[in-house]
Amino acid sequence: MQLDSSNIKLIETHQLGKTVPTSNGPLHILTGIHLSINAGESLAIIGASGSGKSTLLGLLAGLDTPSHGEILIQQHPFSTLDEDGRAKLRNQLMGFVFQSFQLLPSLTALENVMLPLELSGNPDAKRLASNLLDRVKLGNRLSHTPKQLSGGEQQRVALARAFVTQPKILFADEPTGNLDSKTGAHIIELLFELNQEHLTTLILVTHDSILANRCQRRITLDSGILV
Amino acid sequence: MTKLLLALRMLKRDYRSGELTILLLALIIAVTSSSTISLFADRLQRTMTDQASEFLAADLVITSPALIPAEWLQQAEQLGLLHSQSVEFSSVLIENDQLLLAGIKAVSNQYPLRGHLKTIQTDYTTEQTYHHGPAANTVWVEKRILSALGFKLGDTLHVGEKALLISELLTYEPDKRGDLYSLSPRVMMNDQDLAATQIIQPGSHIHYFFHFAGETKALTQFKASIKAHLNPSQRIMDIHEDRPEVGSAITRAERYLGLSSILVILIAGVAIAMSTRRYTERHFDTTAILRCLGCTEREIIVLFSYQILLIGLFACVIGCLIGWFAQTLLLSLLQNLLPAKIAAPSLLALLLGFLTGMIILISFTLPPLLSLKKVPALRVLRRELQPPPASAWFVYGLSASMICLLIWRYTNDISLTGTIIGSGFVCLLILNQLVKMLFTLLKTQLPHYSLYWRLSLQNLIQERHTSIAQILAFSITLTAMILTFTVKTDMVDAWKQQLPENAPNNFALNISEDQLSATQLDLAALTGTSSAFYPVVSGRLVRINDQPVHQRVSKESRGNEAIERDLSLTWAENLPANNLLMAGAWWNSDTQNAVSVEQKLAENLGIKLGDILTFTVGSEQFTAQVSSFRKVDWETMQPNFYMILTPSTLASFPHTYMTSFYLAADKKNHFNQFLKKYSNVMILEVDLILAQFKMILAQITEAMNYLFYLAFAAGFTVLFAAIYSTLDQRIYKGALMRTLGANRRLLNTIHLFEYALLGLLSGLLAIVLSEVVLFCLYRYALHLEYRVNFLIWLIVPLCATGMISLTGFFALRRVTEQAPLQVLQQL
Repeated sequence: MQLDSSNIKLIETHQLGKTVPTSNGPLHILTGIHLSINAGESLAIIGASGSGKSTLLGLLAGLDTPSHGEILIQQHPFSTLDEDGRAKLRNQLMGFVFQSFQLLPSLTALENVMLPLELSGNPDAKRLASNLLDRVKLGNRLSHTPKQLSGGEQQRVALARAFVTQPKILFADEPTGNLDSKTGAHIIELLFELNQEHLTTLILVTHDSILANRCQRRITLDSGILV
Repeated sequence: MTKLLLALRMLKRDYRSGELTILLLALIIAVTSSSTISLFADRLQRTMTDQASEFLAADLVITSPALIPAEWLQQAEQLGLLHSQSVEFSSVLIENDQLLLAGIKAVSNQYPLRGHLKTIQTDYTTEQTYHHGPAANTVWVEKRILSALGFKLGDTLHVGEKALLISELLTYEPDKRGDLYSLSPRVMMNDQDLAATQIIQPGSHIHYFFHFAGETKALTQFKASIKAHLNPSQRIMDIHEDRPEVGSAITRAERYLGLSSILVILIAGVAIAMSTRRYTERHFDTTAILRCLGCTEREIIVLFSYQILLIGLFACVIGCLIGWFAQTLLLSLLQNLLPAKIAAPSLLALLLGFLTGMIILISFTLPPLLSLKKVPALRVLRRELQPPPASAWFVYGLSASMICLLIWRYTNDISLTGTIIGSGFVCLLILNQLVKMLFTLLKTQLPHYSLYWRLSLQNLIQERHTSIAQILAFSITLTAMILTFTVKTDMVDAWKQQLPENAPNNFALNISEDQLSATQLDLAALTGTSSAFYPVVSGRLVRINDQPVHQRVSKESRGNEAIERDLSLTWAENLPANNLLMAGAWWNSDTQNAVSVEQKLAENLGIKLGDILTFTVGSEQFTAQVSSFRKVDWETMQPNFYMILTPSTLASFPHTYMTSFYLAADKKNHFNQFLKKYSNVMILEVDLILAQFKMILAQITEAMNYLFYLAFAAGFTVLFAAIYSTLDQRIYKGALMRTLGANRRLLNTIHLFEYALLGLLSGLLAIVLSEVVLFCLYRYALHLEYRVNFLIWLIVPLCATGMISLTGFFALRRVTEQAPLQVLQQL
């Protein structure tokens, strides 16, 4: 699926729901989510712990499948694709930043950033990754493994990895959740700078009101329902 | 190609970070062991077969009372087989007024095709080795000929009408047989002189031996085509059919080589299974991120398959190289024992080692590898998400069938493969259930234990599947080690018992009734011990109940031998030593006309207890009723009999006596006086046969020892690897407990207890498992006597407990020696 930038509605959800079976009967994590996200928009999903924020992010990114409803990306069904179909779209369109960084421990900073390019067979992976690491001010830490980097540095590597493929959509799950406020503020700054440079649609989940306020739009979840 | 390069890069990164070390080590151990054993066993087997072929002086021999059709020889030539022949007969030599019955052997110029002849000039010269017999007009004789006929080297000896120059003293002849033509002192001549002796006349009692040697395939083809055309007086022999005592030793040794291979494969399999499990678990996160970054299931499988194949190729090449050097080293250690010419290493055997490694790798890594494609992408958000485990049937089925295939390939022996896999698998299932039950029981008792025990047991019980997998892995490895040790020890013991240092090396036949007491006294004086004398009546079995015996027997069966010629019948009051009663009952002094039959012959002839057997002795006929079946140990150098009858049945027939005795080398000169005194007594010397047999057994034993060391070393390495490959979770728990305030003593003690329990359980299970497999193996495959070795029951659990607890303890020491945060960061 090719993304047409002239279309404003990038992501839409209709009656989106997620239910999981438990020993005490079905548990409704998300119910009846109607949502529309425009290209280039920045959206914060906020809510209390257990309100279903990360589940919604996982569904929007195609990391999980909904129990009800559907997700459309540029009006094409997304949630009904099989896992490989969704993986292909993730590779073409999406980037990710996680609370726990999710860097591969055995790879250096450079190799971690190169990985998504290598997966898509980009022959220029090393140069592009190196440039982006320079951009996040880690040009002198290319050969360091995650264990040798601080939390903030690791999240900067993760940001570089997320933007290196020039994704159309960036999903961020509590990107400052594991960082102190000062480092967190640096990361937020960097995230929005990169977002503007790459004209990315940003969807982030956060508890952090400062971070949420930086987004153009905020939606709140309460017990799986959009309020 | 892009994916392959990417896989290579990922592999390089994994290697650099140490992720691959254990898997690579395990695989290198597996391939090293399998290629060493494959190469070593192959070379040893071929060397042993070559050596054993010396017993025949060829790879294959056809015996015949007359010349064989010329087409057979043409066929052998067409197949590229070498050919030689010898003719054996007895002849009386008359020289210097002395008479001597000699065993004459006329050999062609190509004789011997395998092995060599040895001669000396005088007692003080060194032995000369020849790959041919005497030249025309000359003769080689045993030294006894010179002393008996008053000859010296260089004299002329007459064989029939032909005068021959005595040029060498024969000291070694590879195919010296234990039959009537070989018992007399040997005279070896060239067969070009045979006609001139004028001994061979129509109706002469002579034996032709047609020797063949060459490629196994050609030999098999030749044997198959000739076998159908043999007449009843002709026989075809190779080392397995001839010389049953040597053949069975070699068969057992071959089976031990096969068994060692199986056990090393098992050990290697365990190592790879353990390390692959760790490898894949440590790649769950990587896979989740790859999924998240857009990799499809197929791409994940392709990426990891490439990596595994690259690991396999690398480890297999390294393993094969080490294996090549290891087998060279092993054979050089055995240099003094092995023949000068050892079969060359075969590339096929090396390839087998290589393929073994790859097959083990694929069969053990495929199930966990396939589980990687099921790692959910959502794991990036929820780390606790695990891929669904691969189907147990798939995992065990694939591994078991691959192991079956390999074992069958190594042993070429369905029964051995079936015995090991069948008994092992059933046992494992039962033991698995037993451990589960034990854990359930322990769980209910947990609250009653002290803190130390409770924490140790909790670790084992909470990670029940991991603990059981680990216990089974330890048990299989220990079982493999016990089996290699026990089977080797029992085989060597069985051989030692069979051929003690002073095993009889002479048989005396044809002792008449009136010579009995005198020969008994003289032999006892000469040998220092009294030997058992057995009466012998030459008779023939003619009918079983009312059916002529030849209608009962097929041409190929062993029974054929028993009815084609006269049998040596004997009588006895009591069951002879070395005989085991298998069915029926032994007689008492009142029993009349009963016969005890050797079990195998009874089977071949379809004889049942209570059958009436009719024998002829000369022109007389008598009957006896079958009262028992005996198992006879043909491998002992003792007189053995197919038929033993009640004394009253046989004693009235003309009979002679026979015995076997051990004569030390320094008493040989006195023995000549005995021979002169009892000139009618035939002496069958089996020294050379015994010496050769003992040498082969010594070589086989030594080779088996090294195989055992190899399997043991592999076993130990795998035990350590298995412990190290499951450390992560324990280290993590330990570091957390330290963070919560657990002191070093507590942690050290619970680790020690935990591993001690793992070791103890594994040791006990290994004992049960190995006893069951041993029982089946001895009973159905190796035909050895099974007995429980209580020392092993004591030693193995103790050693396993000690070894595993200490290794675990030392491996986990860093939990208590480093700062908890440092430990957690390293995971």
